[in-house]
Amino acid sequence: MSDALTISKPPDEALRAFLAFLLQEKKAAAVLTLDRIGKDAAPAYSLITDAKELESAAPLLPIMPANAGKLLAEITELGPSPEPIAAVLKPCELRALVELKKLNQANLDNLLLISFTCGGVFPLAIRNNGGINETLPAYRDALAKGEVADGIRPTCRACEHFVPYNADLTVALVGGPGSSGTSTFLINSSRGAEALEGFEGERTEAKLESDAIDALRAKRADEATKLYTESETAAPGLDGLISIFGRCLSCRACSTVCPICYCELCYFDSVTEDPAPNKYEAQLRHRKATRVPPGTIAFHLGRMTHMVISCVGCGMCSDVCPVSIPVATLFSMVGKSADKVFSYVPGKDLDEELPLKKYEVDELSHLGEERIES
Amino acid sequence: MNGATVAAPEGVQQAITELLKRGLDEKVFGAVLVPARVPAGDSFAWLLVRDSAVLDEAQPLPPVMSVQGARAIYRFARRGVTGKVAAVLRPCEVRATVELAKLKQVEIDGLVLISMDCPGAVPLKAYVDDPQQGDADFEKLLNGDQTPARDICKVCHLFSRPASDLHFATLGSDNGQASIVAGSDQGRAVLKKLGIAEESSLDAWERAVAERQEQRQQARAEAQATLRQKIAGPDKLLETLSQCINCHVCRSVCPICYCRQCYFESQAVLMPPENILARARRKGGMRLPTDTLLFHVGRMSHMSLSCVSCGACEDACPSSIPVAQLFSLVGDATQKQFDYVAGRSVTEPLPTITYKEDELPDLVAPYVETYSGREAAS
Repeated sequence: MSDALTISKPPDEALRAFLAFLLQEKKAAAVLTLDRIGKDAAPAYSLITDAKELESAAPLLPIMPANAGKLLAEITELGPSPEPIAAVLKPCELRALVELKKLNQANLDNLLLISFTCGGVFPLAIRNNGGINETLPAYRDALAKGEVADGIRPTCRACEHFVPYNADLTVALVGGPGSSGTSTFLINSSRGAEALEGFEGERTEAKLESDAIDALRAKRADEATKLYTESETAAPGLDGLISIFGRCLSCRACSTVCPICYCELCYFDSVTEDPAPNKYEAQLRHRKATRVPPGTIAFHLGRMTHMVISCVGCGMCSDVCPVSIPVATLFSMVGKSADKVFSYVPGKDLDEELPLKKYEVDELSHLGEERIES
Repeated sequence: MNGATVAAPEGVQQAITELLKRGLDEKVFGAVLVPARVPAGDSFAWLLVRDSAVLDEAQPLPPVMSVQGARAIYRFARRGVTGKVAAVLRPCEVRATVELAKLKQVEIDGLVLISMDCPGAVPLKAYVDDPQQGDADFEKLLNGDQTPARDICKVCHLFSRPASDLHFATLGSDNGQASIVAGSDQGRAVLKKLGIAEESSLDAWERAVAERQEQRQQARAEAQATLRQKIAGPDKLLETLSQCINCHVCRSVCPICYCRQCYFESQAVLMPPENILARARRKGGMRLPTDTLLFHVGRMSHMSLSCVSCGACEDACPSSIPVAQLFSLVGDATQKQFDYVAGRSVTEPLPTITYKEDELPDLVAPYVETYSGREAAS
């Protein structure tokens, strides 16, 4: 059981009111939230300083136009925020932020991190068709019942980390109030408690874990098994990789939107990889033809080795791929198995070092032994 | 003007492939750059081919533009090629290659550019998601029905006769035939080496091209007038770009945007958190990522004089923003200022590297007035 505040408003409204409260009480200088601005109310993240601007905010909208962890890292890349910023993040966005912190790309000082039990997000394309409003009732219904909502990103269907880690405050959505019109904010840190102080609601004790959460976790685990064993990305081998990445344009959109791929200039776009006549001539000496641009699979495998330990499976890469490659499915699958080797969950524990930064004298010795034997 | 008539009983694809095969076998070309279907069958990729047997797999005129041809050339021929390399390109890909050559990003000597009358392309993502439907749609394009074409292709007036060395002319000719038109001394030399004589008249083709060009120019003007209504002015432009997620894929697939690192991804645009907060305060809120409009306008100012309206940006945009239509509208206007057409000719200098003492007087005059007025007042 932990401390909680029960508020007599549905979650979206309660959260909006709370964000406004933070600004008005000067507990936060700015809030980062999804917002629906412009004529077509296109969902986008906004950094809001004036409580009046929060009217169009949609903090819990199930869509991810950018990984907000990446956005917060961009804000704090040059240093900590001088004033408190409150941010509403999906659990995987928060995990990305934590990974970026560990990679020295973000600063968490002065950030109030608000998250929620997440039902997953719809692919970005739904935004282009303006169809998100129609899908919301069914989505919320599934969330309340602890079911896997229809139409969400494939990696969301398979996501078992939908209960946030490292949030100062957690809004209960899964198995939550449904249409009862109340919401519960769970207090996970003293910073969260301070922020909530003075906000109208009933102090209670609550437990986040519920039958609905257990049910959803089990269903998501089933979905994960299905996604990672039944799709074309399961154990692809070289032929499979050629089949999956054959249509890749080398546009790098996957790495550009990836929260973990923080490099300003990707190695694969660097001078080292520059073309020269002797390079393609060397290829053509050994084979009848060579693909241009070269190194498509090398790029993906290279990017994978660089970031997959920290992959949070957010699904941005798949969403932006111009040729519908299931990048996120493949990367999150490999990430899961790589993380298993190190018993690591990206973004779970702030104090746990990145596996690749930690030196252990005796590590993966069985892998070495197999090598030595063979 | 004469061309060489060649048999193409199975369409222009076959005629082009035959020429490439002979070119490789008779060592006129050292290698050939040509699209081919990828193993999974759901798209097309560029192959640099040495062995003519591989050309059986080639599809010189694919239904989609996957990687823009000039970008493919940039990715292997930036520092030149050895021997002669023939590249089969759509006309807009030839134009982009010419621009890259002038921007010193492609060493064009050694390249033999081969083009064809372009029927347009079908949208890439739709093709990948349903290749069978995509093939059927492209068949329609080949038969003159433009409905399934990309929007930008529907208003393309430069679909023929680019600054290539050899051009396959099919418009206005009987089915089963194509004419090869040499556009340069290099092109003529290739035909001569292969013993292909330029004897047939091109009148019918020239008439057909002119006719379609006129239709397309009209369609382009109409489409641009409509678009202008929708996007003119900062507010409307902002609205048009409001769904941009800053993924910069428009730039990374653009054949003209050759920078290894975009200014808008550099250290120069990083802001300390105090500045970000201060900017957010000015209006009470600020969209993140910041400066998407600045990115697009900045990119536009960097490349619009060389924009060839190929549509690669629009094909790749995950937010379905009509980037190509927007950029080509502006590109047409900026290029007109300088009587310049991107990719028209290798020898025509880029407007921004040409110095003229008296230039754009109409544009300069209002500023001169404003500033001299201010000086007088002070």
